[in-house]
Amino acid sequence: MKLVVNGEEHVVEVPVETSLAEVLRDELGLTGTKVACNEGHCGACTVQVDGMPVLSCITLAHTVSGRVTTIEGLRDHPLVAAFVRADAVQCGFCTPGQVVSAAALVAASPEPTVDEIRHAMAGNICRCGTYPKIEEAILHWRD
Amino acid sequence: MELLRPSSLDELDGGVFVAGGTEVVPLLRDGILQTTSLVDLRAIVPRGVRDGRIGAGTTLAELESAQVPDALREACRLAASPQLRRMGTVGGNLLQSTRCWYWRLRYPCRLHGGDRCHAAEGEHREHAIFANDFCVSAHPSDVAAALLALDARLHTSRRNLPLAALYRLPDEADRRTTTLEPGEAILEIEVPPAEASVYLKAMDRRRWSFPQVGVAAARTGARTRIAFAGVAPIPWLLDGETVDAATPLPRTAWKVDVARALLRRALAELG
Ligand SMILES: Cc1cc2nc3c(=O)[nH]c(=O)nc-3n(C[C@H](O)[C@H](O)[C@H](O)COP(=O)(O)OP(=O)(O)OC[C@H]3O[C@@H](n4cnc5c(N)ncnc54)[C@H](O)[C@@H]3O)c2cc1C
Ligand code: SF4
Ligand code: FES
Ligand code: FES
Repeated sequence: MKLVVNGEEHVVEVPVETSLAEVLRDELGLTGTKVACNEGHCGACTVQVDGMPVLSCITLAHTVSGRVTTIEGLRDHPLVAAFVRADAVQCGFCTPGQVVSAAALVAASPEPTVDEIRHAMAGNICRCGTYPKIEEAILHWRD
Repeated sequence: MELLRPSSLDELDGGVFVAGGTEVVPLLRDGILQTTSLVDLRAIVPRGVRDGRIGAGTTLAELESAQVPDALREACRLAASPQLRRMGTVGGNLLQSTRCWYWRLRYPCRLHGGDRCHAAEGEHREHAIFANDFCVSAHPSDVAAALLALDARLHTSRRNLPLAALYRLPDEADRRTTTLEPGEAILEIEVPPAEASVYLKAMDRRRWSFPQVGVAAARTGARTRIAFAGVAPIPWLLDGETVDAATPLPRTAWKVDVARALLRRALAELG
C-alpha cells in the first residue's frame, strides 16, 4: 500500500489489521506519534488526515487515502514554541497529540476563543493536568 | 484478514462491515468480533444531508453543523470526542455495542451467550433502569436517542423501517440487540421535520464522555416524543409510560432522579 506522510510517499506491506499508528511508528520510524490507550479514549495518537485530526490507533492503515501529517511534519509550526513558552508540557506524552489537534484548530480558526479551544481540544486527555497551560499556549500561539 | 472495497450494493456478500472503524477496530483487536473479511462500506453508503435524508456514511462532525433538527445536532455535538466525531459515521453509531465493562472484557455473560449477567450481580453503577430483567446494560448512543424522538426511518439495502424497529431487547432465545440481518447495510436515515426538539445529556465530566443519561424530546403539533440514552439495553422510547415506571438496580437508582430532572428541563426548553 501507498501512504503519503508529511509530504513524502511511502510504500509499505502490512497486514489488514495494522493500525496507522503501527505503520507510522514501526514501519516508518516516526515515533513522535504516541500510543497510550490504543482504543480511542485518550487522543495521544492524534495525527491529521487531509488536515483533520483523527486517531491513528484505531484507524486501519489500509483505509487511509488522504495525506497524513504527524508531529514530525509540524516541527516548525509556531505552536511548538508556544507550548514551550507556556510551559504546557509536564511528562510530555500527550503533547504531540495536543499540538496536532491544536494545529488543525488554528488553521481553521486563527483566533480561537476559550470555548472553541475547549470544544476542539476535548479529545486530547492530559493525565498530568496541563490543560490551563495548553489553553494559554493556543491563545497566544502567534506571539 | 482481507479488506474488500465493494463499489456497488450487489457486491455485498458477508464479512464484517466497517465505515469509520471506531467501534469495529477495537472490537476486532480484542477478539470480540472475528472475521476473515472486512468490508469497507464507504464507496456504497451515501454521505451528506439532503431534503431531510441523511446518508448513513455522514460523520457525526458533519451532522454537528448540518441543517438537521436541533436535537440531532446537539446529540452529535455532545457525543464522543472531536477526533471520533470526524471518523465515526451516523450509521455506525446506531449499531455500536454496549459499553458494559464485563462484555468488553469478554466475561461469558448473557449478552455473549452465557447464563449470567455479571453486572447485575456486580458493578453496575452506569447500567440500566428500564427493561433490565435479562441484561442490565445501558445503550450508549446519544444519536440514536435523538433520532428515536424525531421518529426517524431507516432505509437499508433490503427494507424501510422505523428506527424503533431496528432495536430489540435481548432474551434467552436471541442475544442480539438489533434486527439488522447479516449482509444488510443501512443506507439512509429519513428525519421528518419537528417544530421543536432538544437533547440534554448528563455526563460524569463536562465534555467527552458517554451519556450517564441523555434525553431527547421532539414536538410536532400536539404530540411530543421522548427518548432516552443510557437507561436501557437499547435506545429507550418513553411510550405511554413515565419515568416512574423505571425498575432501577440497587446502584442505578440515582439515574432515575437524573432522568426525571433532565426530562423536566427538556420539556421546559421545548416550550
Ligand atoms: C472512546 C469512544 C467514545 C464514544 N463516545 C460516544 C458518546 O459519547 N456518544 C455516542 O453516541 N457515541 C459514542 N461513541 C460511539 C461512536 O460515535 C461510534 O463508535 C461511531 O459513530 C461508529 O461509527 P463508525 O463509522 O466508526 O462505525 P464502525 O466502527 O465502522 O462500525 C460500527 C458497527 O456498525 C456496522 N456498520 C457501520 N456502518 C454500517 C452501515 N452503513 N450499515 C450496516 N452496518 C454498518 C459495523 O459493521 C459495526 O458493527 C464513542 C466511541 C468511542 C470509541
Ligand atoms: S449487563 Fe448485559 S452485557 Fe453486561 S454483563 Fe450483564 S448481560 Fe453482559
Ligand atoms: S492511543 Fe489512540 S486514542 Fe489513546
Ligand atoms: S503532559 Fe503528561 S500527559 Fe500531558
